[in-house]
Amino acid sequence: MFIPLNYTVRSLFVRKAATFLSVFGIGVTVAIFAGVLALQQGFTTMFTSQGREDVIVFLRPGATGETDSQFQRERGMKLMKSLPEIEQTPEHGPLASMESYSGVLRRRPDGGEVNVAFRGVQQATFTIRGDELRIIEGRNFTPGADEIIVGKKLVERIQDCHVGDVMVINTTPFRVVGVFDHDGPFVSEIWADLERALAVLDAYGPNRVIAKVKPGTLIGDVNAEGGPDPASLAGRLANDTEAPAKVLTERAFLESQTQMLGGILLGLGMALAVIMGVGAAFTAINTMLSAIASRTNEIGILLATGFRPLPIFVAFMLETLLLCVMGGLVGCVLVLPINGIETGTMNGQTFTEVAFAFRVTPVVVGAAIFFSVLLGMIGGLWPALRACRMTPTAALRRT
Amino acid sequence: MLKLAWRNLIAHPIRSILTSASVCIAILLLCLLRSIVTTLDAGIEAASATRLIVMSSISLFVDMPVSYQQRIEQVDGVDVIGKWQWFGGYYQNPRNFFAQFAVDPEHLFDMYPECQLDEEAKQRFLSTRNGCIIGRKLADDPNFAWKVGDKIPLVGALFPHPDGGAWEFEVCGVYTSSAANFDERTMMFQWKFFEETLRTSGQDPGVGVFVFRCEPGANVERIMGEVTAMFENGPMSVRCAPESEFQRMFISMMGDIPMLLGWIGTAVFVALLLGCVNTMLMAGREQVRDIGIYKALGFDDVTAFRVLVTQSLLLCVIGGAAGIGLTLALKPGIAAAIAAMFPVFIVADETLIFAAVLIVLLGLAAGIVPAWRASRMKPIEALRAEH
Repeated sequence: MFIPLNYTVRSLFVRKAATFLSVFGIGVTVAIFAGVLALQQGFTTMFTSQGREDVIVFLRPGATGETDSQFQRERGMKLMKSLPEIEQTPEHGPLASMESYSGVLRRRPDGGEVNVAFRGVQQATFTIRGDELRIIEGRNFTPGADEIIVGKKLVERIQDCHVGDVMVINTTPFRVVGVFDHDGPFVSEIWADLERALAVLDAYGPNRVIAKVKPGTLIGDVNAEGGPDPASLAGRLANDTEAPAKVLTERAFLESQTQMLGGILLGLGMALAVIMGVGAAFTAINTMLSAIASRTNEIGILLATGFRPLPIFVAFMLETLLLCVMGGLVGCVLVLPINGIETGTMNGQTFTEVAFAFRVTPVVVGAAIFFSVLLGMIGGLWPALRACRMTPTAALRRT
Repeated sequence: MLKLAWRNLIAHPIRSILTSASVCIAILLLCLLRSIVTTLDAGIEAASATRLIVMSSISLFVDMPVSYQQRIEQVDGVDVIGKWQWFGGYYQNPRNFFAQFAVDPEHLFDMYPECQLDEEAKQRFLSTRNGCIIGRKLADDPNFAWKVGDKIPLVGALFPHPDGGAWEFEVCGVYTSSAANFDERTMMFQWKFFEETLRTSGQDPGVGVFVFRCEPGANVERIMGEVTAMFENGPMSVRCAPESEFQRMFISMMGDIPMLLGWIGTAVFVALLLGCVNTMLMAGREQVRDIGIYKALGFDDVTAFRVLVTQSLLLCVIGGAAGIGLTLALKPGIAAAIAAMFPVFIVADETLIFAAVLIVLLGLAAGIVPAWRASRMKPIEALRAEH
């Protein structure tokens, strides 16, 4: 026969101060773990959730990202014009666009400096993006003019990013004419016309080409073992003699750009969880040992009335689990207010700043609860074993 | 007094050990988090006051023409100048990341005395066209295990080799660094080889940064102003700043991460404080009768207060000292683990002093509530208390 759950729950409430302190201590530990995880989630979902499968990215062979990719203009044109897989529209021709990418050093309002992504685009980019990209203030830039539009997240984070402000890049003053919103990483970028961007950067060609492909196109996976399928677009272009290129879907490309920072954040979260988890488990053990010590008599009575050691073990295990899960819930509550808080750091892969928000996703909450259950299991084992191994006479005799 | 406190702690060995151990872990974590911030700032402090950096005003993404070198040299007061270009290649797999630069070798040794290399290796480097020198940590990396004489093929992700293959560099020496801002995980090779190779396909490499030194006694402010003004109207406008400002820019790019680490440290401290208070409350509750006895024997309130505070202090000091010890013991291991990103891992004396102060404060804070409670108790009530 098992000990009623009521006993477990009430026991926790008898020792209010100790329970409160333990729950809160474990809660803070869980909150730290969940907070770092929320940071990692915010960062990776910003990149991966927006990557489209029907948009492909062409990079120079061997390039790891936009920063180390570069095309000569003619090669870029050839890619755009010659591939039958690229979707065509009567009014725009092929749905493909050349884009340049660079970092521009800008000041934060507090005076610190950061590299902000500066992208030069052709008009086709806007056609490909469609409703994904929305101008929320002002207007789009006029092709050929020294005008820029800025991502929404830059407005408060970077100086001179309000509509009407002027930003000098190299020697050219650019006027901010609009603010745009996008759910992906573009929202921390500055966009200008490709021709003007190449001119101020003193660059000879774009960094990448993007295109919308026809449905059903076999794109191929450049990261596949032994290279991409030779029949696929990626396989064909990898070995093309005239205009070789590395081809990825936009989703795969964006994912490849998050590995470094995403990995660091995940590693930090795990390291903190392990180190602090040990401390939190100690707190749980301490609390439970003290609880058992002060309830030796009760345990003696339970044993004397015929409860087997197993139910007693289960009861104390449950008590620890409850203690830790309450801690886990407190941790989740503590971490909730950071949901949506904007933060930013340098993405090690692109050397430019990305702004993103903490995201307390179901994954984060799930991981936090799992973590607290794990703490309970580890923390409860020893005290529960100790309780169930007592002999009734010895337990009753102790005062 | 100390003996009494100690005995009380030993009476509950498991609880005392666990509490001390969690203090130890928390202090370790706190020291490590602070050390990361210290490490980030180390570059600024170690920056040379005599070296000045010229870069494109746009950002480090953008190069300057090679011809700028002669024009900067002509500015009155400029002594030695050298070129640096980020090569951005990789060995076999993009994951094998380490920094490579094309440099002017003579100027490197002249301007960077912290780059230490024996004379023979220097000569070999200067006389080998595709020669390179690599840092001690890079040479010792088990993924590479390069030694003098080895050939290193690198894929030029940023600068593809004109013949389509890999660039090949010959290791001429392994340098060590005597300063925090000079990385031992870097490879440097000859600018001339870099430029001549690219020229074969008609490419004209640009320069990432120029590093120069002023003549002794020269007016640095004036020189910086003149260099900036010289290229104000293009084709590529520049910024000229002391090395320390250049380093500060890199830290600034880390954004909110150092601040977040600070927050985590604070939260760790709070969690720790709660754990300690909990333990001391338990100890206080159990010792109520003992305290009744002291009081009945004629000891005053202050003594009762002290017994508990001393216990709390002892717990924290033992755990904290172990935490500091562990930090120092783990330092080499951590330094190796983060070597790819940070050249050094510095545990500053300030961090250790800060930790020590924190430990004492923690001990006092955790002990005060139970101690105050105990000292206020009437002896008769205390004696009557059930265990």
